[in-house]
Amino acid sequence: MNCVKCKELLVVYLEGLLEESPKQEVTKHLKECRNCQEELEQITNLRSRLVKNGVTVGQSDLEDDVMNRIVHEQNVRLKAVSKAGEGLNLRRIIMKSKITRFAAAAVIIFAVLIGIHSITGGTPTFAQVIKPILKARTVVYDFIIGDEESNPVIMHEIVVGSRIKRTISNLPGMTQIIDMETGKMLALNDVDKTAVYVDIKGMLQERTRGYIEFVREVLMDLKDSPKIKELGEQEIDGRKAIGFSGRGNNNQELKIWADPKTAVPIRVELRLGREFFVVFKNFKFDVHVDESQVSMKVPEGYKLEEAEVDFTKGTEEDFIESLRIWAEVLLDGKFPDAIGTERYMKQMPLIGEKLAQSGLSKDEAEKLAMALPRGMFFLQLLEIEDKYHYAGKGVKLGDADKAIFWYRPEGAEKYRVIYGDLSVKEMSKENLPK
Amino acid sequence: MSETDKYYIERCLDGHPDDFRYLVRRYQSVLLAHLAGKLGNRDSAEEAAQETLVRAYFNMNKLKRAGSFFSWLLGIGDRVVKEYQRKEQVRRQREVVRSYSEEAGSPELSQDYALEAAIAKLPETYRRVVLLRYYGNHSCSQIAERFEMPLGTVTKTLSRAYVMLRESLQQQKKQEVYEV
Repeated sequence: MNCVKCKELLVVYLEGLLEESPKQEVTKHLKECRNCQEELEQITNLRSRLVKNGVTVGQSDLEDDVMNRIVHEQNVRLKAVSKAGEGLNLRRIIMKSKITRFAAAAVIIFAVLIGIHSITGGTPTFAQVIKPILKARTVVYDFIIGDEESNPVIMHEIVVGSRIKRTISNLPGMTQIIDMETGKMLALNDVDKTAVYVDIKGMLQERTRGYIEFVREVLMDLKDSPKIKELGEQEIDGRKAIGFSGRGNNNQELKIWADPKTAVPIRVELRLGREFFVVFKNFKFDVHVDESQVSMKVPEGYKLEEAEVDFTKGTEEDFIESLRIWAEVLLDGKFPDAIGTERYMKQMPLIGEKLAQSGLSKDEAEKLAMALPRGMFFLQLLEIEDKYHYAGKGVKLGDADKAIFWYRPEGAEKYRVIYGDLSVKEMSKENLPK
Repeated sequence: MSETDKYYIERCLDGHPDDFRYLVRRYQSVLLAHLAGKLGNRDSAEEAAQETLVRAYFNMNKLKRAGSFFSWLLGIGDRVVKEYQRKEQVRRQREVVRSYSEEAGSPELSQDYALEAAIAKLPETYRRVVLLRYYGNHSCSQIAERFEMPLGTVTKTLSRAYVMLRESLQQQKKQEVYEV
């Protein structure tokens, strides 16, 4: 063995990782070579210095200090939180991300229920174009709320009769099956094989029905009227298409694009409010779908979670709570720059993550998980009718001087104004913030 | 205590903050050694290590890969050090004004500050191996497993690190002589 080889092997030798025969060779060479002996000594010295220092450093024990600081800091944060708004005592809340995921996913049903009915309502003037939408027993398509260009959340849906099966692009592993007739949703978590039933009866169903009737009225109104515009031939989603557009009485704008030869719809765009815009595309009509795909039974191997989630109502109180959660949990105490369904959907995975991290318990978790989607449901109803104003950009949670949101409840004279500290005042129109 | 980092991280995120304790236990020495070399003062290093761990706890949801907790932690440590150094600079500048009249005691260095400083100067690839080997009580094969590298690479990295450490220590010695 030569010196180069020996020096190369010294570390391995010292670590006791050398096989028997090279080990003997190194030992032998070391006996004969003064130079390599010195090298070994140097390394050994350095190593023992490292070990010694390692031991000294290892004597410091930060554990208790760190844990105490964490508890202390947590308390400071929680105090800031409870000052900002009453309601949930986060300290006691141990949130399981699973529930939040269900809750977050459930929010979408509202938007989509509305969306689907506007499809089945159809565009009246181009009878051939809307025929497949009206008549098909199964419809498969992608559904997007908001801007398609910037990171859209895409829902893939299969509609069979009154059943809908849905998957969502930013919540992989979540499947929802909705039965419109009974007002129930089965939410499945494919990752941990759990299932939960969500009740969507009551106000939601009523409102949905009311909305369809409204759409139908608009459509009847538009039928054969000069209000329908032909948009001519254009390239849509990479193919030739013929388009029509119409505007409802409350400015809802509907565009439908179809194959010019077969009249099969390619794309439907629906603007329901200033900030609320939906797109349906990649249609397939009357493809075969196995009944089991849209079954409301809990699939074999899935565990049914005890909690039955109820989304039948959405009140101002729920909305305020969801604003608070949004600011506090997602944005470190600041209100979002803008709100709305599109924003909310993009935030869903983050909500699950953040809530899970703030660490929480079953009771309060459920309460929280309800408040979020219900609050967003409340907003959605206003969103569709463009009946609210949001001014929370740059406002901190707890700021009592700044109005962040106002709207006029159905049939009321006065406006309700929500402030940064989440207090609410009634106000006549003249006194509204500018 | 023998669970993976990932396990404890998930436990924390799942609402068991107390499990962070195990991660503190696992990495405090490594972190301390890393910071001591940079700050040159055991007390500041302890303070900085605490700060680093607390920050890590509250930002755990931002950690993309649980497997990279260690490197991520050192990264937070580096930022804390920078902040400390900035503060320290200001403090020293003020002190200079005062020190005309009184003997300004040099900051109390740790016992083997030279060694810690030399480690701090190592390039990242070498430093993390040395830190884990001597302050994290990892064997070479454990290090190989953690960084998904062949065992031979670990020993070569160590070997090269020793050379650099020796050079750096020697240089420090020369400087001391020169300064005296």
